[in-house]
Amino acid sequence: MKKLLAAFLTVAMAAVSLAGCGTEASDWDYIKNKGELVIGITYFEPMNYKGDDGELTGFETEFAQSVCEELGVKATFQKIDWDSKEVELNAKTIDCIWNGLTINDERKENMGISTPYMENKQVMVTKAENADKYTSAEAVKGATVVAEKKSAGEDVAKGNEFFKEANYVSVDSQAKALLEVKSGTADIAIIDYVMSIGTIANGTDYADLKVVEGQDFAKEQYGIAVRKSDTETLSKINEAIQAVADDGKLEEIADKYNLTDLLLVKAK
Amino acid sequence: MDQFINVTQQLFKGFGENCFIFAITLLLALPLGLIVSMGSMTKFKPLKWLTKTFVWIIRGTPLMLQLFVVFYIPPLVSNGSFSFPRMQAALIAFVINYAAYFSEIYRGGIESIPRGQYEAGQVLGMKKTQIFFKVVLMQVIKRITAPIGNEIITLVKDTSLASVIAIPEILMNAKDFSMEGLIWPLFYSALFFLAFCGILTLLFSFIEKKLDYYKG
Repeated sequence: MKKLLAAFLTVAMAAVSLAGCGTEASDWDYIKNKGELVIGITYFEPMNYKGDDGELTGFETEFAQSVCEELGVKATFQKIDWDSKEVELNAKTIDCIWNGLTINDERKENMGISTPYMENKQVMVTKAENADKYTSAEAVKGATVVAEKKSAGEDVAKGNEFFKEANYVSVDSQAKALLEVKSGTADIAIIDYVMSIGTIANGTDYADLKVVEGQDFAKEQYGIAVRKSDTETLSKINEAIQAVADDGKLEEIADKYNLTDLLLVKAK
Repeated sequence: MDQFINVTQQLFKGFGENCFIFAITLLLALPLGLIVSMGSMTKFKPLKWLTKTFVWIIRGTPLMLQLFVVFYIPPLVSNGSFSFPRMQAALIAFVINYAAYFSEIYRGGIESIPRGQYEAGQVLGMKKTQIFFKVVLMQVIKRITAPIGNEIITLVKDTSLASVIAIPEILMNAKDFSMEGLIWPLFYSALFFLAFCGILTLLFSFIEKKLDYYKG
């Protein structure tokens, strides 16, 4: 038994020491040598989604392609499970997360975050007939509020005075939060404004849902996340973002998806 | 109508991944399970102990976690210099997991054959391998058809777990539609599973009937 344990420990230690080496090339060289930047995304309109022709399209898709063009590498999009994004990044199965990622302190501590390029806010989505109702903390009292777990929406639901008397339930995605409201199991979903643009438009199953006007929470900013150690890559990406903004391409793309008002990086 | 066709196409595309995982897992896990069951029935104690531990670990942890381990641990330990492609990682996890379950079904089937039959075979001067292949095996197959069928039908639905390492299988595709504001594809995807399991159920009742040539 002791021998077996010793053998196991030896293997484990060998594995750990193996992990220690292998840092010859700099973080940017690693990506440049591959010739591609693997971008972790999930599908959501209007950021990254499949268009009518089945091709990947969206604001982030085109933005990322322009930035990669500037960097001289190929943009490869890899769909990921959003819950595993940090693991994917550290396992190098992706090189960055570029999918309307909200910048917060926790993420800044664990990942390298680019210049904020877009602004976002949290809004309340409810059934159209209730859209005029939930305008005060009094009206929200006793209502069931849903948001995606660990999202900015959850922070609002849990921390904001406005929702102090409401019942909060967390679900595993923003789409699920909308489904809860649609099916009547919850009254209010707190989701990204950007997401609400694509999701509750006319012609979708959520066309009977509405954003409550005049009630915005938690203004936030979007950034691109890379591995914490990839400082060189990060500065390359930041430079490229500015370059894409300078030649007017960024605004052009934002115009196409009605996101111009939210843009934070301006041409110098 | 266009939308319906588009959704159906996307779901079929996703279900192709499920069917692929299903087929390869069966193809490899069925024979591997037999080898594992031999290991757990051997008289050689260390091998028996090792096999039992293996089966305990695999059956004692969630398949979802095993998928994570196979896909993320190699690149995390090697600092990204080695990783399985997503589909390979999924297949490895599924094959190992199902081999462990199959092995226990095999073991149950083999051990249910009375000792007397082996003794009778010996008295008649048959070799050990002859007894196994000519007397025991067909009875075992007959006895394990129902539990194996059960496990195979579970496998059909388990394939959708592969979405945790981002394999674009049917449920993931259906969920993407809900991000675009379409809810019904999620429930529509159930029909694919129902149809597939329906065919398997018919197939297994057919096999059971075929094997019903004697009471065993």
